[in-house]
Amino acid sequence: MRFRHILAATVFGFVLPVAALAKEPIKIGFPIPLSGPTAVYGVPVLKGAELAVADINAAGGVLGRKLVLLSRDSKANPAEAVRLARELIVRNGVEFLAGTLTSAEAPAVSTIAKENHIVFVAPSAKTYELTDPQSIHPYIFRAASNTTIEGQAGAIVMARWKDVKTVATIAPDYAYGHDAIAAFVAKLKQLRPDITIVDQQWPRLGQSNFTPFITAQMSKHPDAVYCDEFAGDFISFVKQAAPLGYFKAIHNRLADGGEVGSVDETIALGSSFPLGIWTDTYDPVVWDGPNQPPAEIAFDKKVEKELHTKYGSSWAIQGYVTIESIADGIRKAGTVNDAAVAKAMLGMTYQTPLGPRTFSATNHDADAGEYWGKMVKVAAYPFAVIKDPTYYNPEPAAH
Amino acid sequence: MTVSLIAAQFLSGLTTAMFLFLIASGLSLVFGVMRVLNFAHGSFYMIGAYMTWQVMQWLQPAGASFWLAALAAGATVALLGGVVERLLLRHLYGQEELYQLLFTYALVLILGDAAKYIWGTGQLSVHRPPVLDGGFHLLGTTLPFYNLFIMLVGPAIAIGGGLLLSRSSAGRLLRAAAYDREMLGALGGNVGMLYTGMFVVSSFLAGLAGALITPIVSVVPGMDVQVIVQAFIVVVIGGLGSFWGTFWGAVIYGLTLSFGILAFPEFSLFSVFALMAVVLMVRPWGLFGRPIR
Repeated sequence: MRFRHILAATVFGFVLPVAALAKEPIKIGFPIPLSGPTAVYGVPVLKGAELAVADINAAGGVLGRKLVLLSRDSKANPAEAVRLARELIVRNGVEFLAGTLTSAEAPAVSTIAKENHIVFVAPSAKTYELTDPQSIHPYIFRAASNTTIEGQAGAIVMARWKDVKTVATIAPDYAYGHDAIAAFVAKLKQLRPDITIVDQQWPRLGQSNFTPFITAQMSKHPDAVYCDEFAGDFISFVKQAAPLGYFKAIHNRLADGGEVGSVDETIALGSSFPLGIWTDTYDPVVWDGPNQPPAEIAFDKKVEKELHTKYGSSWAIQGYVTIESIADGIRKAGTVNDAAVAKAMLGMTYQTPLGPRTFSATNHDADAGEYWGKMVKVAAYPFAVIKDPTYYNPEPAAH
Repeated sequence: MTVSLIAAQFLSGLTTAMFLFLIASGLSLVFGVMRVLNFAHGSFYMIGAYMTWQVMQWLQPAGASFWLAALAAGATVALLGGVVERLLLRHLYGQEELYQLLFTYALVLILGDAAKYIWGTGQLSVHRPPVLDGGFHLLGTTLPFYNLFIMLVGPAIAIGGGLLLSRSSAGRLLRAAAYDREMLGALGGNVGMLYTGMFVVSSFLAGLAGALITPIVSVVPGMDVQVIVQAFIVVVIGGLGSFWGTFWGAVIYGLTLSFGILAFPEFSLFSVFALMAVVLMVRPWGLFGRPIR
């Protein structure tokens, strides 16, 4: 009697659904901010993910099954992202989770992935906390760069400015800013023990008023500044700092690790962009210099078409590589079973339009660096572009 | 602390204060004087900023005029405010404040989504008017011309608004209406027109504030919600019903923030909220307000 029950449960519970599912699509849940200030990046990241799904399906899908993306608006709110992740798992039966944008949402969704044994890949959250020894679990992976790589790359850039003796920092007052600045300071102290940190400012995220922070920092007369302001905050920061003579006072020796070399940012600032500063981006899109990977050119063309904009977005790449990494994990595991896929993704190398990336087997982070360079003006474009974009991970890649 | 440091923080505090006052002045009229809890004031400010960018785009080929765009933005928002008041908000007068809060909050969501639909989620930027490029040196620090301009506009609005409320007949009627709306109506005052008029003025100030801030910030979705809490803090610190109170509330807010940064760089907003807590404990009716019976 008991045996028959178990047998029946086995047949109905495993064999039948697998047979029935063989032609069903593989569902990936994708909570991401599509409204509010961070939708600026949420929308292109989602577009990138949708492009990856379209490309993979056009090539026949994964294990003979199509991929389908179930996107939801997380409003950049961790509680909402958690609610959506639960709903996607319970109601929609997604097999995988990807998405979230901020360093507040991703660790929150990661706990849901852990509870439900669902693989979760974060495309853009950089905070060290996401995969630190207290928070890591078998199902969390990060396709984004992280605050350690970012801060260290910034320190390497700055260490080359030989006449700099005093440095100040300015970064948003939350996990991302604090983690990146800590990594920057630690690496800079190691590379250049002669440099002293003379000032640190922590304006709130979404702060539109930077003027008092800027004047307080200028009064300490730093030789150079490491900055982690990004998106709309960086624009406000620049528009208030430039007329105060901030960039002139530091001779444009500012390094910013907040991806303000992204075309999304440079186009918005136009001729107000502070030329001469160093910054980074996941995908320069417009390359002033050689080394542009051909796959990246093709990818950016697709993004431009998808977003109906002339220069696309520097963020779409992160959505794209996130989905690619999940697809490669499924292929390598030969099954959609989350435990098997999670295991397969450890140490796995996957291809992206910007070259191969590998998930670390220990901390589950991709070895994703970013392209750094000096911001210059060239005649062909009405906005600033990165000169000779060089891949830093965190050391500059030789080429 | 050197002279130049004090001067720099003082001037940046005043800049902060005057930008904040531009936004809070309209709120002071509607919330402080008329006692209408308009949570959507920040949304009007945001629409003003977007409209400025939009008009600049339209004017681009002919040579964009920031001043024309700012006035057009103010006028558009004033019109929007008038429509909202006449068609919707007036049904809520005399009701509990909770209904006004819920209604205007719904308006925040609707206008936020409308702005996103029209202008997208990207960050937009407006250039400073070329006339006000640059700045001058003062006590070892730099004061940008644009900041100086805002420091002059702020007091001008304070004086204008203060005179309007205390000297003009409309101002007298308005204060009477805030005190007892029905009695004023019974005495033959046209309360409806009065409220619409004041709401239009308040909306114009919100739109103008949104326009005038565009040269120093990015125009992004969410700028509405970010500013509304600060504006309420300023109105409350200054005292409900006191237009000049709002002005001084903004000045105190700005200076507390800029000097607080020197004292506690890790807790930039701590000093401002501490200030508000102290004011509310000592004078719950605000620094320049009068206790309500």
